[in-house]
Amino acid sequence: MTTKKLVIVSSGLSTPSSTRQLADRLVSDAAGLLGERGIEVEVKVFELRDLAHDITNHLLLGFAPPKLQAALDAVAAADGLIAVTPIFTTSYAGLFKSFIDVIDPDALTDLPVLIGATGGTPRHSLAIDYAIRPLFTYLHAIPVTTGVFAATGDWGDGGDGVRSLPDRIFRGAKEFADLVERTDRSDRVSDPFSLDRPMGHLLGGLAGE
Amino acid sequence: MQFGIFTVSDITQDPTTGRTPSEAERIQATLTIAKHAEEVGLDVFALGEHHNPPFWSSSPTTTLAYIAGQTSTLQLSTATTLITTNDPVKLAEDYAMLQHVSGGRADLMLGRGNTGPVYPWFGKDIRQGLPIAIESYELLHRLWREDVVDWEGKFRTPLQGFTSTPRPLDDVPPFVWHGSIRTPEVAEQAAYYGDGFFANHIFWPASHTARMIALYRQRYEHHGHGTAAQAIVGLGGQVFMRKNSQDAVNEFRPYFDNAPVYGHGPSMEDFTQQTPLTVGSPQEVIDRTLGFRDYVGDYQRQLWLIDHAGLPLKTVLEQLDLLGEEVVPVLRREFAKDRPADVPDAPTHASLVAAKYGDAAPRQATPRANRGDNLTAGSPYQDAEPVAAAASGSSFGPAATRTAGAR
Repeated sequence: MTTKKLVIVSSGLSTPSSTRQLADRLVSDAAGLLGERGIEVEVKVFELRDLAHDITNHLLLGFAPPKLQAALDAVAAADGLIAVTPIFTTSYAGLFKSFIDVIDPDALTDLPVLIGATGGTPRHSLAIDYAIRPLFTYLHAIPVTTGVFAATGDWGDGGDGVRSLPDRIFRGAKEFADLVERTDRSDRVSDPFSLDRPMGHLLGGLAGE
Repeated sequence: MQFGIFTVSDITQDPTTGRTPSEAERIQATLTIAKHAEEVGLDVFALGEHHNPPFWSSSPTTTLAYIAGQTSTLQLSTATTLITTNDPVKLAEDYAMLQHVSGGRADLMLGRGNTGPVYPWFGKDIRQGLPIAIESYELLHRLWREDVVDWEGKFRTPLQGFTSTPRPLDDVPPFVWHGSIRTPEVAEQAAYYGDGFFANHIFWPASHTARMIALYRQRYEHHGHGTAAQAIVGLGGQVFMRKNSQDAVNEFRPYFDNAPVYGHGPSMEDFTQQTPLTVGSPQEVIDRTLGFRDYVGDYQRQLWLIDHAGLPLKTVLEQLDLLGEEVVPVLRREFAKDRPADVPDAPTHASLVAAKYGDAAPRQATPRANRGDNLTAGSPYQDAEPVAAAASGSSFGPAATRTAGAR
């Protein structure tokens, strides 16, 4: 049976967090869909709240403490990333951006991403498309078309009157699962120390390598 | 094994007094520290290069030349010389000169630099940092080994029949260490030339440093310079000591908490656990340093950073005393104990001269009478075989020049 590696990054700040709740539902649908296609998933969940001090220390010092390094390694080696953040003041949470900032700029290339966000009112929902999506596009990740925004009202029965939250979650999860199914990304993770460009290449191919 | 200190030349406020030394004061203090390093029996003093406040060391060879005149055994090095923003021709000249005035006590450690803006200040593009480092070093390497160099590359003006003067002392170039914190290509570069590799070490976990050095060792062997265990490795580290461990912790904490390089980040306890920083008794420094060998193998040079973060001169000199009296003698003994016989010491001028000439007299480059034409008759030096120097120089020779030019 094939196994795909999914990483969940949730940057909700409270406990319990509706951001984490949305993340759980997204991964649950995605895992279900992949399971139906005979694909197992290995899921790693990182709550950025637990890594907040490490992230700040990395920003100040330039290296990741062990717990944060584990998260960075997992993201770099994933087949799919589900990234969920609260929306603060029309954009992603600062903690979420700080985490993105300490990721190696090449580490997200070709990575399927399902974006989720939470906020007080549906009027923030476009933040997914004008703030978060460009971030992943810049890093050459592949964010799926549907981003799932859950406003406070969505958790009750009101919602925004367009599609129910479970519908939107399923739609996003399906687009994500389709990409994750096809990617062989985690098999291609390269070790920077394996030096795919040894000196002969660096100097112009003259060392017989 | 060589033991010494390296300084980044920062001028930092002493957080316990609120006082910041002047440039003049800090420069004089550093000269005092360097001289004291020799007095307490250390082997190496190394100096960084920076071109912006709060650092003062923009002219390492001037500084090291003075120290050379004030000392007699101390090995003088840099940490690091910027191979990216300095002209390799000027580097070849300056460091050959330093080698002469110091009687062969100079080596240099090359690096790419860590301040982005320094590139445009010297007309370079940081996005080309690695290609510049590789091309510039290839040129520097040739300028020291070939009397007359024809060269064309991407990042500086071409050279036609150029002779870098003075020629290296005894026609043996200064030993070069390549310093890097995180770039595997630099480990490869060091291995390729059979030069030394210095892992800065001080801001990185042991696992990372271990991988960098393992790569360098493996590639050193691959390129045919010896076995992996014989590769020439240097490590950085930083220490603060008092006789009693707790005194060291209490005294250093305000410096750690406020230092531009560590401050307001992790706790000193977390940082000491994750990096080579050791704050404690001399015995703790001994134990920690001996432990480095467990993950990098037998190595040749250990440099400590001891004068940063606003520490006053008096304190730094006391650190040197502790290193000289209590730490280094034990480390010399302990490191020598299980060291395999075929693992070499760090190269020195004397060992390189012996390797090149055996019992024969070293070459002393002596210019011919001025011919007004250095291009057509081989070497401008009367004691060199024409052409022979070029053929035995770089393993690339003229073909590399053409390719580099065509890129």
